[in-house]
Order: sequence, then structure tokens, then C-alpha cells
Amino acid sequence: MSKKMSNQEKHRILMVSDFFYPNFGGVENHIYYLSQCLIKLGHKVVVMTHAYQNRSGVRYMTGGLKVYYVPWKPFLMQNTLPTFYGTLPIIRTILIREKISLVHGHQAFSTLCHEALMHARTMGYKVVFTDHSLYGFGDVGSIHMNKVLQFTLADVTQAICVSHTSKENTVLRSGLPPEKVFVIPNAVDTAMFKPAAERLSNREIVIVVISRLVYRKGADLLVEVIPEVCRLHSNVRFIIGGDGPKRVRLEEMREKHSLQDRVDMLGAVPHAKVQSVLITGHIFLNSSLTEAFCIAILEAASCGLLTVSTRVGGVPEVLPDDMIVLAEPDPNDMVQAITMALHILPQIDPQAMHTRMKTLYSWHDVARRTEIVYDRALRCSSQNLLERLSRYLPCGAWAGKLFCLVMIIDFLFWHLLQLLQPDRDIEVVPDFRLTDHQRGETSQDFNIDDSLR
Amino acid sequence: MSNNIKCNAESVRMEASIGRRSSPTRSKWRKVAYGGMQPGFEDNHTDESFLEDMIMNASVVKRDLLKVMLDSVSISQYVCIVALVVLVWTYTLRSTFNENSLMLLDVILLGAGFFVFLLTAEMLSFDLLLSYVLKIFFFITGLYVLSPIYHTLTRSISSDSIWALTASLLILHLFLHNYSGSTVKAPGALENPTFTSNISLNASIVASLLIASRLPSRLHVFAIVLFSLQIFLFAPLVSYCIKKCSFRLHLCFSFGLMAATLLFVYRLHGLLFVLLLGVLVFVNLVGPYWLIRIQEYKFEINGPWDEAKLCFNITE
Repeated sequence: MSKKMSNQEKHRILMVSDFFYPNFGGVENHIYYLSQCLIKLGHKVVVMTHAYQNRSGVRYMTGGLKVYYVPWKPFLMQNTLPTFYGTLPIIRTILIREKISLVHGHQAFSTLCHEALMHARTMGYKVVFTDHSLYGFGDVGSIHMNKVLQFTLADVTQAICVSHTSKENTVLRSGLPPEKVFVIPNAVDTAMFKPAAERLSNREIVIVVISRLVYRKGADLLVEVIPEVCRLHSNVRFIIGGDGPKRVRLEEMREKHSLQDRVDMLGAVPHAKVQSVLITGHIFLNSSLTEAFCIAILEAASCGLLTVSTRVGGVPEVLPDDMIVLAEPDPNDMVQAITMALHILPQIDPQAMHTRMKTLYSWHDVARRTEIVYDRALRCSSQNLLERLSRYLPCGAWAGKLFCLVMIIDFLFWHLLQLLQPDRDIEVVPDFRLTDHQRGETSQDFNIDDSLR
Repeated sequence: MSNNIKCNAESVRMEASIGRRSSPTRSKWRKVAYGGMQPGFEDNHTDESFLEDMIMNASVVKRDLLKVMLDSVSISQYVCIVALVVLVWTYTLRSTFNENSLMLLDVILLGAGFFVFLLTAEMLSFDLLLSYVLKIFFFITGLYVLSPIYHTLTRSISSDSIWALTASLLILHLFLHNYSGSTVKAPGALENPTFTSNISLNASIVASLLIASRLPSRLHVFAIVLFSLQIFLFAPLVSYCIKKCSFRLHLCFSFGLMAATLLFVYRLHGLLFVLLLGVLVFVNLVGPYWLIRIQEYKFEINGPWDEAKLCFNITE
């Protein structure tokens, strides 16, 4: 069925998010790899994000991926200032100039994404939204975020979540019908994350931890677990990569238990060096308190490490049971899990694990499944303003009417812009395709195993 | 080992629920993310086990109207205490009370409070008692030494601003007050003072200093500040001790206090009496009924997507 789909027309997609290169993270990598694979499938992809320090304007990345760094500076936690209608002119210009057919927004926490989806719907484009995180329901921040999400998703064409737990969470938060939500997980670049050429000796077991050292990622659990494991097993060493507010606690723990020779703290590890740190270890430890989908685990498994992780969020769905040992987020349980991992370790073959990961996860597969979602979205019928407004009213007694008001003003503003600067006055960008020669040279930066295609 | 058993149990349960309706040619749907698209299922397939692990209203307490009303008596007791303090301030500002009667009032309150505390305290040792007496002595001496400063504190501010500021600070104090415990950490109290209870205490202290600065002489200032601080710092502690000792005693004390307050306020001003009566009726009768009514709409959602709670305390 997917073969028939790929002979269909090619789409022109605009990816919108506040989170993109030069930042590194789950969402950023997802957008980048997905865009590259969609380009290889023949679609046209343009990315829109805010400016990062000096990086403002239009840039081109590998494979001809065009990125619009719109000249706004982030004001809070990498997000642009949410002016409701301030983004309408620039988004309209980009959509018309690139002849976009579909807008794909990422991450519920990105204000630019919400605004772009709102304007795209006003102008009649189909929109797809991908949610990358889990949120609660009880605290003040989550309640407001969920209301904003309800507004955006009231009128979205299709939605994508990265795990089944994330789908349940998104459906509860936004009130979407579950049939509209597709589950397409992230993947890992297995060509970049290769295991070490030679197997490490099992005399001394090295446990690697690479994460931001914040409360959410379970740094406090590490403080409890590491001394206990070092006490129980004398041949175990730890390598901790990453930085954050909880680093001080880990240093104190190191001093208190005199573990300076058994615990190495590397500080912040740049993304390019992560693989070289991972291959020095046998076991990867992840102690997050909440994860929608943990890419770090995939990277570690691709490098041939056995994973020990907390059973939170979408983590139980990520790897088969023989590649991961799960534990409750409790120090005793985690120490037991590490002990079990040490017992299982001799049976693990890193190369076999890496080969198996290549069959389990691939960005090309993700792109193909996303393409199916796009086809489905574009086949949905267009609706005029009145029909769309009726979708906003059920959002709440006061909120529904407020949302309708916002959309009506957006509609009027759009027509005003059409009067001031008609569509035909906006110059359309000509398409250009990279020749095979150019693509061959530049694709060394982005290695994808040819055997997967 | 237990983790594997749990994993197996979950997959068996899922397979059992699916096996009922799946056709023999389709393999079973699994709640996993690896391995690409599951054959025979689309990506938006919603299984029967969707939202299976959701738990609703797990920690919601079923409330009983009578108990809530009895608990709300603590709130109205404190409101009456604050009303009495404002009464004393008003009479002092009108020079109805002179400084000697105020000092007498202070001493009586100190003695009574101490007496109640001693009666109901469990751990009584001479050292502890001595330390308390010493602390109170230092406190009183400090206040006496500083009272000339308070006397001239707001000379340049107009009286209207003072009354407005005092009123707003007192409302803030009542709003943010911690009615479940005591503002000072009593021995045997369950939890530390919270952030908002600190704010409310500060507001009340500032209000009493503002009022004190309008008084004619330094002794007045000392007496009124001592009186106000005694009440605001120690009244919650004393009422907590009474409540701990016997609930009936607490109820009698509260009702007596409410009656006395209403009587005194009636003698002062009719409108204020109506206002106070309205507040007490609202807090004791209307409030609990409203709370029970809207409790039906509570919808608490928990599930595997929640952030895990650490079961140990983080000691910095």
C-alpha cells in the first residue's frame, strides 16, 4: 500500500517549530531527520523557526533543506513572544512564496507552532501537528497549556504522537477523537551510532549516563543509586555526561562517598561526541521521571549498550524486553535492575544489537508513515469559516466563544492583508533540485544506510 | 525478575482481550513502538486497551457536610480574633483605652496564653520552659527599645493612606493565613510554615506597626505593638494547642469568642456588625455547602503519563 502512495503527487511541506538547529535536542533532531528523509522521497520541505543569535534569514542545509530563521529573538525558554496576529504576514508570505500545500507543526510548548497552525487554518491550508512531550493535568502551567492545545487541535486535520502513551495523554488533554491521532515513533540514525570496533573487556563494567542533570531527568535518583551500586559491585565504574543545576549534588555525592576514581563527570557533551562517549560503556542508565519517548535509549541501543531505565511514560514501548531492563523510579528497584543487567551482560553482543536496531527503527520508515498521514490530511475536505467555528465552540463555556472571536479577527486580518498585498504580488520561489552529483557530495554529512531503502 | 513477570502479565492480558475479536489472519496488535508499522493495523488504530491504565479521582476525599462545617469553625474563630484586635486598635486610637489598661491586657494575655500552652503541652522540661521565658523576655525588651523608632515611623504619611494600607494588609493577612496549622512551628506540629503563611504573618506585623505609629506616646506604641504581636504570633499556636487537647473545648472557645466579638462590634458600629455577621455566616454555612456541591465536578486524571514522584526526600 505504501508503494502505491509513493507514486502519488509530491507534497510541499512547511515544518514549523521554535526548536531547530543550531539547538540540539529530541524535537530538533526529529524535524531535521524527518525533513531529510521526506526530501529523499521526493517531497519539498521548508522549515520555519525563530532566529538564533546571529543566525537570521534564509539558510540552506544538507540536501537543499531551506530554513527560514524569522527575525524574532526568543523571549522565554526558546519560545518567541506570543503576539497573536504578528506572525500572520510573514507566515502568509512564506506559504505563498513556497507554494506550500501542508503545514506541519511540532511540539505543544512552541508558541510559533501554535500561531502558525492557527494562521494556516485561517488561510485554508491543511495542518498536521506532532506532539513530543507528556504533560500533567493538575498544576497551573499544565492547565493553561492544555487549553491552548485544545484550541490548536480543535481544528487540526491530523495529529501525530511519538508513542502510544503519548497518544493517550494527547487525546485526554485535547479532546481529539482517537482515530485522528497517528502513532509514529522517533527513530535513530544508526549509521552515526555504531558500536565500538572491538568489544570492551568485561573485567571492569562501565555504566554510562548522558542526560541533562535536572530534576525531571531523575538526577536525584542517580545521587541515591550510584553509591549503592558502587558499594555492592566493586568492578563497576560510572561515566556521567551532561550538565545542569543538579550537577552540584552529584559532585557532593562523589566527595561524600570518595568515589572520585569510580565516577567520572565529563560535563556537557556536544552532540557530535555522544557516540564516542557511549562506546566506552557496557550499560546505559536512564533515570528520567517522565519521558514521552526516549531517543537517548535508542542511541545507546544502537551503540550496543544494554539499557537500564525507569518505567515511566512511553519508555516500556521503546525497546524489546531483551534489550532493556525496566525498574520503578525507586532507588532500591533501580539497584536491583542494575544487578540483573550485570548478570545479563555477558549474553549481549553489541554488533548483533546494532544490526537488530537497524531493522527496528529507521527514519525512512518514519518518513513513509508520515507521508501516509499527509496523504490522508490532504484528502480531507476543506471547510469554510462557519463550519470551522462550530468546532471551536465546544471547547468551553467562555473559552469556546473567545476562541471563535480570535479566529474571526484572524480571518478579517487575513482579508485585510489580501487587500493591501494581493497574492499575485508575492513572488514565488522557483524550485530547484540538487543534482545527484551535488547530493552525493553533501550527503556524507547525513549518512543513511542504503540497504534500508 | 519481577519486571519481566510484570511485562509478561501485561502482554498476556492484552492478547487475551484482543484474541476475542481478532480474525485468524491478523496478528495481534501490541502496544510497542519498534518494528515499524504493525502488519494489518494502521497507525491510527485505537485498540480496546486504549486508556486502560487511566485512573480517575484516585485521591479525591469524600466530604461530609457536618465535618466541613465544624472544620470551618477554625476559620471563623481566627476572623473573630482579628476583629477583636482591630477593635482594640480602634479604641486605643480614640483614646478610650489608656496605656496602663493596655499593659494590663498584655500581661493578662501573655499569662493566659502561657497557661494554656503549659496545660496542653506534652513534653515539659524545665530547660525548655526556661528557654521560652528567656526568649520572651528578650523579645519584650527588644520591642521596648525599638518603640521610639516605631513612634515616628510614619510621621510624614497621611492618615488616610495608613488606614487604607492597614485595611488591605489585614485582608491580605486573612486571605493567605494558614488555617490548618500554626504560623510558628509548634513542637509536635506536622509541617513547616509555608511560603504564603510567611507572607500573611509579615502583612499582619506591618499592619500593627503602621497603626502603632499613629499613637501619642512611646508607652502606647510599646503596649499596642506588644499586644498585636502577641496575638498574631501566638494566637494560632494557642488555638492549635486547644484543638489538639480537646475538640469540644475548641468548639466552646470558638463559639464564645464569636459571640463576644459580635457583641463588642455591635456596640461599636452597626454596619460593621452586619458585615462581620455576614462573613461568619458565609464561612460557616454557605462555604461548606458550596464546596460539597461543586465537589461532584472534580475530575482528576492519573495514568502512566504522569511524572513519577520521588518517594524519598531530597536533602540538600
